[in-house]
Amino acid sequence: MPQVLEEIAVNEKTLLDTPWITLVWNDPVNLMNYVSYVFRSYFGFDREKADELMLQVHNDGRAVVATGGREEMERHVEAMHEYGLWATVQKDGA
Amino acid sequence: MKDFVSLPDGRILGSFTPLESELLGDLVTQVIELLDGELPEDRLLASIGIGGGDGPSSDPAIARLIPDAYPDDEVASREFRHLTEHGLVSRKIANARAFMLTLDGGGEVVLGPEAQQAWVRTLADIRLVIASRLGIEHDDDEGRADTDDDLMLRDVYHWLGMVQSSLVDALDA
Repeated sequence: MPQVLEEIAVNEKTLLDTPWITLVWNDPVNLMNYVSYVFRSYFGFDREKADELMLQVHNDGRAVVATGGREEMERHVEAMHEYGLWATVQKDGA
Repeated sequence: MKDFVSLPDGRILGSFTPLESELLGDLVTQVIELLDGELPEDRLLASIGIGGGDGPSSDPAIARLIPDAYPDDEVASREFRHLTEHGLVSRKIANARAFMLTLDGGGEVVLGPEAQQAWVRTLADIRLVIASRLGIEHDDDEGRADTDDDLMLRDVYHWLGMVQSSLVDALDA
């Protein structure tokens, strides 16, 4: 019996650990210094990291700005929408 | 408009002509009206952040302000809207109202930490709405320029970009 319980525990952990990502997408409206400011003030990134992600959004069309649980990613997306940034959530690798 | 100045006590000083101030007030009022139309008659649930529509608005400006959270999953996007949309719209309206409160007929505005956030976010929302009306969809789009109104709106759009950029610089100072 303990073996079965252990297996269930492992399965649940696997499900819970499936990472989700928050993506921020490029748009022609939001200013580069504003996007970098949002990344620093909301996520707490330093300037180098924030600028790197901002440039990735600008040049590649999108960037992953956070990875973690689904609810946490949804909170990030809602916060980005309040800033006027275009953000979405999806399962990592989807 | 003069550049925003970061004061030693953390507040930010802005300086506008009466005409500029009036223009900002008109634009913010329009954004409030636009967002207000997204809230249900019964404001109680919306005010505590519950409820939302089934999908993105047919108005592209509103659809951009409140986009789908799941790009390829309609069901998850709908569930997310039901939980968050009215709360998000209410907060955007609250930001816009806080912006309005600081405009007192022109001249100088002194922005504390909350007003700074209300300003920078509301400026983003106004620019998104105008860009949508002008059909600005890609990085190199200049926007529609068919009529005198279009050209005026383009000028306003660029001016708002300078205002927001200057405010971000002051926030970073």
